[in-house]
Order: sequence, then C-alpha cells, then structure tokens
Amino acid sequence: MSLSQKIDTGGFLFTAELGPPKSCNPDAVRKKSVHFKNIVDGVNITDNQTAIVRLSSIAAAKILVDEGLEPVVQMTCRDRNRLALQSDLIGMSALGIENVLCLTGDHQRFGNHPEAKNVFDLDSIQLIATARMLRMGFFLSGEQMKRPPSLCIGGAANPFADPLEFRVLRLAKKIKAGAQFIQTQPVFDLDRFKTWMNRVREEGLDKKVAVLAGVMPVKSVRALTYMEDQVPGIFIPRELISRMKKAENPKEEGVKIAVETILCLKEVKGLRGIHLMPLMWESITPRIAEESGLLRKDSAAGRNTLSGKAKKTS
Amino acid sequence: MNEEKYQGKQPFHEEEDTQLLELATRHTKDMSRSEKAVSKTALIFENVVKIPFFRCQRCGECILSHTAFICSQRCPKRLRNGPCGGTGRGGTCEVYPEQKCVWYRIYKRARFLRRLFLLTRIEKIHNWNLEKTSAWMNVLQKRIEAPILFLKRKK
Repeated sequence: MSLSQKIDTGGFLFTAELGPPKSCNPDAVRKKSVHFKNIVDGVNITDNQTAIVRLSSIAAAKILVDEGLEPVVQMTCRDRNRLALQSDLIGMSALGIENVLCLTGDHQRFGNHPEAKNVFDLDSIQLIATARMLRMGFFLSGEQMKRPPSLCIGGAANPFADPLEFRVLRLAKKIKAGAQFIQTQPVFDLDRFKTWMNRVREEGLDKKVAVLAGVMPVKSVRALTYMEDQVPGIFIPRELISRMKKAENPKEEGVKIAVETILCLKEVKGLRGIHLMPLMWESITPRIAEESGLLRKDSAAGRNTLSGKAKKTS
Repeated sequence: MNEEKYQGKQPFHEEEDTQLLELATRHTKDMSRSEKAVSKTALIFENVVKIPFFRCQRCGECILSHTAFICSQRCPKRLRNGPCGGTGRGGTCEVYPEQKCVWYRIYKRARFLRRLFLLTRIEKIHNWNLEKTSAWMNVLQKRIEAPILFLKRKK
C-alpha cells in the first residue's frame, strides 16, 4: 500500500528520515535503509540538508525503491528554478517515486558553499501548487502534457517559530495549495506543540490534511546544543538540556526522551502520525518503534532483516 | 481579532481548476520602445515614493497592499507567500540574526490594520520579466493585478 492510500484510509502513520552520504556510494544508502525496512510507511530523503552537498535525493530514492521501500523525496527551491523543479517532479514519477515533500530550503549561508547563488524562484507553497498542477496534467506555462505524473504532495510546518498564529495561517495556505500530508519540525517543546495543534484543530485543518509530528532522538548534549545553535527554527527547552547533562548514559536517555515524546504525542487529538528524524543514528529506529508501540503486526519478517542476514528480497 | 475573516475564501482545492492555472503569470508581450520609455519615467517617480517609505526592491510585481505595506522582497529568500520555517525567537531572521524577519513585521502590522485575510491569498509565481519595471505602469497595462487599497467592511 502506498503512502497516499495509507493517508486516505486512516490509521497512525510512521515515517523516518534518511540523510544521503557525502559521496557516491550507493551501499551507504542501502546500509541505512535496512533499519527502516517493514517498520516505516515512508522514508524521507533530505535534499542537500542545511545546504551541504550530498547525494541527490532522487537518486537515493531510486535506490530505496529498488530495495522495496517507499521513499519521500524532499525538494527544495533553493537549488532549482521552475524548469528544473518541474522536470525533477516528472522525472521522479517516471522512476516510480510518487511522494514529494515540498520545502523552501535552508539559506546557503549555513552550508559548505556560502558563496553560492541561491535561486528561490518559487517558494514552498508555490511548489506544492505546481506539483498539483503537474498532477492535473498542466505545466506552469499552461501547456498540457500527455501523461501526467502521479504525485503525493507533502509540506512542512514549524509549530515553534514565532508568531504562532502565522504558522497556522501558513499551514492553511499549504493545504489550500494542495498538500496531502504535513511533517513538522522535531518536537522538543511539547506544550508549545499542543497549543499549536489546538489552533490547528480550531481551524478544522486536521481533517483536511495528515499532520505528522517530528521526533528527533539525540545522542548527547552536544548534539542538542548543536541543533539549537546551527539549525534555524529549532528551540530546545532548558529542562531537556539539563536532563541530558545529568544522565549517566546520554544515549539511553536520548532514546528514553524520544519514546516519552512519542507516547505523549500519540495522545494528542488530530495527529495522524510520527515522523522520526534520527540524525546520523538510523540504527535506533527499530528500537524506538518497538518501545513506543509503533511496530506493525506484520513486521516480524522485517525484524529478521535487521540482523543483516536476509538482505536481498526478490 | 479578525478570526472570522481568517480563513478567507473557499479552500483552494474546491475552486475551479482554472484558478490554479493562473498560478504563474503568462509571458506578457515584450514592451515596445515607447512603452519602455514611459515605464522608465514612471519608475523614477515610483522610486521616489516607494524606496524611502517601503524600501522597495523594484520587483515590478507589487504586492505591497497584500503585505500590509511592508515590502516582502526584503526577505533574503525573496519569499512572496509568508515566512520560512527558520524564524527565531522574537521573530529574528535566520540568515541575518541581527535583523527582524520581514514577515514577522508584516504579520504584526497586518493584524493591526485588520488585513490578515489578505495574507491567506496564494501569491502568483514571480514573473522575472517584470523585474525593474514600473509596477504602476504594469497595473495600468493590466500586466499585474490592481492593489487592494481599501477594504470592504462587513456590517
């Protein structure tokens, strides 16, 4: 069952994130993908995350398709103009990838090529609308195409940036443009997330779109402070940092916090799923899924592949 | 405050499909020489008003009236549809943390002027052919939409 069908039928969704390597090694992608197999409903593939050059997200997604996983390609407006964006959207559909997450993209100032020229021809909302237009069989120029691509369109939301009201308004705009699912930034501040979700419910937006809350397990205090300093739009409560500092085994504490967050999020009304972002720590996914009860019933076969023995499937 | 108007018109996906086709402005005819001359002269007058008051970036496709009379093109990413996800605490810009996010200021002023519902519009994709032309002339020649200066108040 594809992700779009799962969104339509209901049920709790579980997606994860995979960062492609900084080299052309396809085995690195395959190695990471083993941890997700038969556990998640979709694997997001980042597109030059934080403006650092990595393996192309569509290429990595193709590798995952061959491995039998369901990739979600992230597409940013930073690197491409409207010609490239449209051709990539059609191209990925031709390769059998139908899920796309439309993002504006981080500014190149944060990456390893700060002297680059950015594009930002479109923004995320316009990209969502463009993808929908392509699905209907039209290019942005108004020209019709013979065989329209099948796309499942997603968007991102940041419930933690100021002001809260504008974030809800922007979510409404993304839905208006045609987003089918929404993945949020990692939740560290649960109270803030709940107030945001309340506003979303008041506007009745949770019924129009599948909202997936982001959860990020962290290995150490350093990772937490790095996130706060380097990644824009992420805020970490002081209590969390002090809790990680006090912990004897920070890795265990990180898993514990992630599981607790997921269990709390499951109680939140209107939420349709969890989006796990194990930053450079993909191997922890099965454990978190198991401890937080996100494991599907039919995933026993998937657990065997975790040992790495039964890698190849027909 | 303005919560009823918040949702604006009907949701996008329930509108007619032709609405979606107007997402990008079609390629407009190239200006003739005389038109260019008029546009250039108009731009001089426009700049005198718009640069000191709105810090206009001369995109030629003015949406000042939708964004509470703050030029959205001052954003480092030149976003036309609202802020990116990187706005910091207290509304700082992610690229230049010493500055305020333009969209944060737009939101505050739009709420004050009761123009929030205008922010729910999906702005068209920018036509780069209109860059550095006079937006006023473009409105007169119907290249772009007319600004919404006055609001109809519901009784």
